[in-house]
Amino acid sequence: GKLLVIPIDGSHWLSMLGVIQQLQQKGHEVVVIAPEASIHIKEGSFYTMRKYPVPFQNENVTAAFVELGRSVFDQDPFLLRVVKTYNKVKRDSSMLLSGCSHLLHNAEFMASLEQSHFDALLTDPFLPCGSIVAQYLSLPAVYFLNALPCSLDLEATQCPAPLSYVPKSLSSNTDRMNFLQRVKNMIIALTENFLCRVVYSPYGSLATEILQKEVTVKDLLSPASIWLMRNDFVKDYPRPIMPNMVFIGGINCLQKKALSQEFEAYVNASGEHGIVVFSLGSMVSEIPEKKAMEIAEALGRIPQTVLWRYTGTRPSNLAKNTILVKWLPQNDLLGHPKARAFITHSGSHGIYEGICNGVPMVMMPLFGDQMDNAKRMETRGAGVTLNVLEMTADDLENALKTVINNKSYKENIMRLSSLHKDRPIEPLDLAVFWVEYVMRHKGAPHLRPAAHDLTWYQYHSLDVIGFLLAIVLTVVFIVYKSCAYGCRKCFGGKGRVKKSHKSKTH
Amino acid sequence: GKLLVVPMDGSHWFTMQMVVEKLLPKGHEVVVVVPEVSWQLGKPLNFTVKTYSVSHTQEDLNREFKFFIDSQWKTQQESGVLPLLTSPAQGFFELLFSHCRSLFKDKKLVEYLKQSSFDAVFLDPFDVCGLTVAKYFSLPSVVFSRGIFCHYLEEGSQCPSPPSYVPRPILKLTDTMTFKERVWNLLSYMGEHAFCPSFFKTATDIASEVLQTPVTMTDLFSPVSVWLLRTDFTLELPRPVMPNVIHIGGINCHQRKPVSKEFEAYVNASGEHGIVVFSLGSMVSEIPEKKAMEIAEALGRIPQTLLWRYTGTRPSNLAKNTILVKWLPQNDLLGHPKARAFITHSGSHGIYEGICNGVPMVMMPLFGDQMDNAKRMETRGAGVTLNVLEMTADDLENALKTVINNKSYKENIMRLSSLHKDRPIEPLDLAVFWVEYVMRHKGAPHLRPAAHDLTWYQYHSLDVIGFLLAIVLTVVFIVYKSCAYGCRKCFGGKGRVKKSHKSKTH
Repeated sequence: GKLLVIPIDGSHWLSMLGVIQQLQQKGHEVVVIAPEASIHIKEGSFYTMRKYPVPFQNENVTAAFVELGRSVFDQDPFLLRVVKTYNKVKRDSSMLLSGCSHLLHNAEFMASLEQSHFDALLTDPFLPCGSIVAQYLSLPAVYFLNALPCSLDLEATQCPAPLSYVPKSLSSNTDRMNFLQRVKNMIIALTENFLCRVVYSPYGSLATEILQKEVTVKDLLSPASIWLMRNDFVKDYPRPIMPNMVFIGGINCLQKKALSQEFEAYVNASGEHGIVVFSLGSMVSEIPEKKAMEIAEALGRIPQTVLWRYTGTRPSNLAKNTILVKWLPQNDLLGHPKARAFITHSGSHGIYEGICNGVPMVMMPLFGDQMDNAKRMETRGAGVTLNVLEMTADDLENALKTVINNKSYKENIMRLSSLHKDRPIEPLDLAVFWVEYVMRHKGAPHLRPAAHDLTWYQYHSLDVIGFLLAIVLTVVFIVYKSCAYGCRKCFGGKGRVKKSHKSKTH
Repeated sequence: GKLLVVPMDGSHWFTMQMVVEKLLPKGHEVVVVVPEVSWQLGKPLNFTVKTYSVSHTQEDLNREFKFFIDSQWKTQQESGVLPLLTSPAQGFFELLFSHCRSLFKDKKLVEYLKQSSFDAVFLDPFDVCGLTVAKYFSLPSVVFSRGIFCHYLEEGSQCPSPPSYVPRPILKLTDTMTFKERVWNLLSYMGEHAFCPSFFKTATDIASEVLQTPVTMTDLFSPVSVWLLRTDFTLELPRPVMPNVIHIGGINCHQRKPVSKEFEAYVNASGEHGIVVFSLGSMVSEIPEKKAMEIAEALGRIPQTLLWRYTGTRPSNLAKNTILVKWLPQNDLLGHPKARAFITHSGSHGIYEGICNGVPMVMMPLFGDQMDNAKRMETRGAGVTLNVLEMTADDLENALKTVINNKSYKENIMRLSSLHKDRPIEPLDLAVFWVEYVMRHKGAPHLRPAAHDLTWYQYHSLDVIGFLLAIVLTVVFIVYKSCAYGCRKCFGGKGRVKKSHKSKTH
């Protein structure tokens, strides 16, 4: 079959690669389209790359990423931070939106896509550009995602999520909340739509123009046939799901390869104390000097050898046990028996690699779902969370010593690891199966709940409840009136006096 | 590991036995606990069987069941769970429920079970006893069932089930309902909450007695670790599910074996017209004579050869093309390319064999979930439903001719068949996996939603909503009052006049 892939730049793309490779090996033709200005999305041997012109340069995208990484270390007051983040998100998303708009208005390019007669489309709906293309080309879509902001994924799949035990993202709530936490959860639920509008509603207007019918973002997202969710209930709290959601968390935890000579040498030299792997992900290239020095100091205080992936300036106080590298084979190092701890920004890739290899974590969440990931691992006793802005060298030292020396952290992460890896089918195979399924059957309409065709008051049966209440009230009213009438007849004047007395007090 | 199995009699056991037999070669020790008196459970098995004596005889069981079936023939027009709950044939259920008392009376058996230290209980919840056993011995449990009676799947697994598009069982509704149907659906849902506890009263009484603490059905169901439901979304309508609810529909549809010489001869003799397979399941042994004659007449009017599984008296007007047999290899016959149609009572086993082999169906639902199965297949255009009480010979003849000659029925069932069989893992393997999973990990607590620990008003966030409303109202009230006060101050007498005027009109 023929598959069209519309990825999103950044780490999201990296986990999609495995699925594409597997699909190509099964004999499918895969076409990936991406803007000319992309950082991570490059030509590959197992797919056809088609780039479309966009009104921005590679440098702009890089700059946006670098700034995102840098901004998390800004020590601004809360409100200023919110305003800054809001402005940044607005700026970046309008840049990406303009890329999408250029694609959709590129008549020649779109026509060539139409002529290719794809069987299905695989896309990351984080930005719903692929969703618009899917509707424009009338292709069944498979979504590949972590989660969408503002619960858009729940809304678009019609998945119920009771606010009483399903924590909202960024609320730092768990699935067991006290009354005030539940109030917080509810308030976030009531306000989050407003915050998301800045990013998502322009896609609604763009789609309305392209498809020439009135569509909302929810209309764009909801026709997806299958939602491949990079989640697993070892990490996430159990909650209701829908039949067309497929959970493929841990898809990035591939088979380990042997370490290169360079890293092998580091690991062997670490002796009985073993190593600590430290990476804040591909998005953070530089840390403010003061913070970096504090970190370096803390790392120097532990007996383990620390492998730190860092591309910024070398902190002057770096201890002997700390080795700075530009890149490290994270999964292979974590899989080494000498790995004692993992310092991570708790992005979902890192978290699953930590779970998969059973390495306790020290987490420094920076933005987005990383806060939630850290919270979940912490409540399961598999790691310690630090606030990257407020932490001191002592905090980091203590956290590292705790997860390394307190046996319970290792036990908990090993238990999670064994639960996570005990599954009837590997997540990669599952993802490949469902993409092929949608290609074979041109969608999966039998998995689409009828809830999509109901209005909100119908969905919650408010009309039915109202109707039944009306009947009950009418019956009660009639019975009351007839009784009253009966009483009046029976008791004559006396009854009347009572009645009029009663109505006066009302 | 060691597994305790508490099965349910009748056709339920056929598929559960397949799973148990698949577990044996994996080196598990299996102990099955069965009542002395039963239809299917007494058959020799190659694993340990422990029997307990019961206070009734085989004749009692047969008589109660016949009474139950007969009452179903009479009251079949009414739909919904309610008529079933209030049916005079409760005796059959009372008999089933009483098994549990007999089991726990057998002190030697209870002691043996206690000493055996099982890893998990694999149970059919139909007679509730398995749930009581699991709770009594504090063992993690795996439920195996077609569906769960009443609203106990919703309560036991905390699975949301919006009555606006999830039809309640036995109502013959689909997921697209009119207003009237939604009213009926909601009323039925409320009815279940009201009447089901009394239907299961005997069972919960026995459980309370055994556990020496008062328990409800919800208490018995909520500790379940994994639910294996014998259904899938080619038959079932898409709806919210929970992570520990696993669908294994079609588990009984195995590879077709060649049919025996006797049946091979029948099939070959059928010529180009092929055969029609007719069975009302193992539970119905006799049909009233008048009805049987009508059926026989209709069957005589079609050119196909009929293979009718029937143990009752031979109808006098049986045509030449109809062959009466005491038993038939249903799945193998349906899998034969000459199978043209399948007349079935639409029990779930039969329906899945029909789907799996792609044979259009004429359905005569008798009781329980059969009504729903028939409705689902009918709405998918894969069969015709007949009311077995009202149908005439003409109706049956027309139905048969329609499904055989109208190509759309064959096309639809073939489409369902291809969707059904396209799955990443075979249902039998999946069932085996999850039973072993629960044995390995002593349950699956990480799949247990926190909703179990909430009260109903907490679950629906009513307390939070009330709190927020109170705040909003207070703020509105204060603002209103201060405005009113301000106005009065500013405008002096004029404002006061206006105010008093306003309050008068109220």
